[in-house]
Amino acid sequence: MTIGTNERSGGLGRLARRPETGSFVGLIVAYVFFALLGGENFITAPGWSSWLNTAADVGTIALPIGLLMIAGELDVSVGSILPASSLTVAIISGRYGLPIYIGIAAGLGVGLAVGFFNGLLVTMTKIPSLIITIGTMFGVMGLTLGFTILIVGSTGVFIVPDPHTKLLLGDAIGGMFQVSIFWWLGFIVLFYYMLHISPWGNWVFALGGDRESARNAGIPTRKLTIQLYMLSGFASAFVGVTQVITFGSAQVAAGSAFIFNSIMCVVIGGVLLTGGAGSVIGIVFGTITFAIVNQGIFFSGLDPNFGSIIIGALLLTAVLSNDSFRAMALNYAAKKK
Amino acid sequence: MEMIRAFFSRPAAASILSLIGVIVFYVLFGGVDLINLAAAASWMNFAANLGIVAIPVGMLMIAGEMDISIGAMIPAGSITTAILSGYYGLPIEVGMLGALGLGVIVGLINGILTLRTTVPSLIITLGTLVGMQGIVLSAAILLTGNASIPVKAPEWAKSVFGQLLGNGHQIIIVWWIALTIALAFVLHMTRYGNWIFALGGDKVSARNAGIPTGRLTISLFILSATSASFVGMCQAILFNSAQVSGGMGYIFNAIASVVVGGVLLTGGFGSVMGIFAGTLTFAIVNQGIYFTHIDRNWSNLIIGITLLVAMAMNESFRKLALS
Repeated sequence: MTIGTNERSGGLGRLARRPETGSFVGLIVAYVFFALLGGENFITAPGWSSWLNTAADVGTIALPIGLLMIAGELDVSVGSILPASSLTVAIISGRYGLPIYIGIAAGLGVGLAVGFFNGLLVTMTKIPSLIITIGTMFGVMGLTLGFTILIVGSTGVFIVPDPHTKLLLGDAIGGMFQVSIFWWLGFIVLFYYMLHISPWGNWVFALGGDRESARNAGIPTRKLTIQLYMLSGFASAFVGVTQVITFGSAQVAAGSAFIFNSIMCVVIGGVLLTGGAGSVIGIVFGTITFAIVNQGIFFSGLDPNFGSIIIGALLLTAVLSNDSFRAMALNYAAKKK
Repeated sequence: MEMIRAFFSRPAAASILSLIGVIVFYVLFGGVDLINLAAAASWMNFAANLGIVAIPVGMLMIAGEMDISIGAMIPAGSITTAILSGYYGLPIEVGMLGALGLGVIVGLINGILTLRTTVPSLIITLGTLVGMQGIVLSAAILLTGNASIPVKAPEWAKSVFGQLLGNGHQIIIVWWIALTIALAFVLHMTRYGNWIFALGGDKVSARNAGIPTGRLTISLFILSATSASFVGMCQAILFNSAQVSGGMGYIFNAIASVVVGGVLLTGGFGSVMGIFAGTLTFAIVNQGIYFTHIDRNWSNLIIGITLLVAMAMNESFRKLALS
């Protein structure tokens, strides 16, 4: 498995074959395009903070989603875990006034529990993970809405976090750059280490390349799959926690946009759904590209709806160019699922 | 007899059981009046709009592919009808042709991209989904300056596509039933149906057996995109206006209906009657809750549980059928 491992090489051909090259080119093109249209505002602090804030939220979720996709699985339940965790924090620490760390622990626990459940179902049955996570998505959405109405009687819950928690999880530096950006950077380093340096990362690539051989090689594939789902559950719960601390309120309806947005960041970043290929740096580039287009459109003076067209075009360009890169790199067409 | 036997054979079995299970649950714990529920238009309208999209999506899934661009094609169909026939005042036929033609084009793009690349169709249609959303919104804003466009259909179009029958039942229910019968015939009684199963079972063998797999895949994508724009067109004619939003909910709802209906996402297994029953189950869970004492906020939880239970049943039935 040479793809995705971190090898140093100067050759242009080698460079073109790396999974993140295409996404880096996309990033530069997107940035220059919006810098030309958006002018002063976009290339200074207001522009940078706006796309970095977006990138931090969607990027924290895109990292484990990318790992899952490298391992050949999907998770759409993230869209329901995010509000479930926000509301858990708001109900426990806002409504019942328990210490904030209990609320945060419970919120993150919800994410880990749903992730564990997803992983268990995926490994115990032959049902595709897309379907299983659609099922848990509906289930968690229903539980969140049902319990919130039952306990609070409305679909929104308020919370006033203490200054320390606010500083750690929900502050904005200079009134613009949210601290979640730094958490995202931390996650990037952590995921980079896990995927590209530790042996655990090789297992993930092996799992996505060929599950059967991976198991035969002695890799604990079931445990690994469950861990990956717990990671994505945890990451979306974490974003839910930072959002509730930042905004001081939790809404039942938040989160569904993250489902497709996180998948798009990962795909623009050069990870293929067919598994076995991808890199953390690629996912980060994909996330930044997505965030630049998503936010840059508001600085550009263009109709905001053009943003969707650009993202759709970017996505198709990314998958098509990755497809040719892959064909070049592997010299044979990868088998379709 | 043959029909009944076929009905209860493999793929549809779990969805019928789920349907009965949900109704029994609503009667026992929700105090539903069955006669009231049976006469109500709400769940039937919901099922018809969803079902017209779910059957072609299910056929694509039987063939081993996926189409989520339908979420953008429903508003695209209604907006196209409204822009052409409402804003520009062209005859309604032009608007309808435009809506259906757009479906053909997007289906063609989805199909060709799926064939020409090794990228999974889920990702390709995610791209066309987002792209079409942007195109529909920008077109509406740029051309008309409004996100909601009125359209007035003539009497005949209204009575064929946008009429309310009796108790508030939309005429689209008739279209749904007709489409179900037509596609059940195609999938289960013609060679095209056999080809679709062969395609989902093993693509390479299907091609080697002389099946025109490329044309078949493209036709299925065109069918799903066009049926989605058809639903949008009917909605525009019925409500005399088109909205740019709406449609995203159809993506997961359609997939859930298809899966409850016993279709295997990995391809090669499923039936139209199963998808029909799956759609009915989904619609009754979703809309039937308003007829119960149960707080309607729990409906998503019931959908999730139904989905997971139906999947588990499907898997064990399939094991039985294949053993």
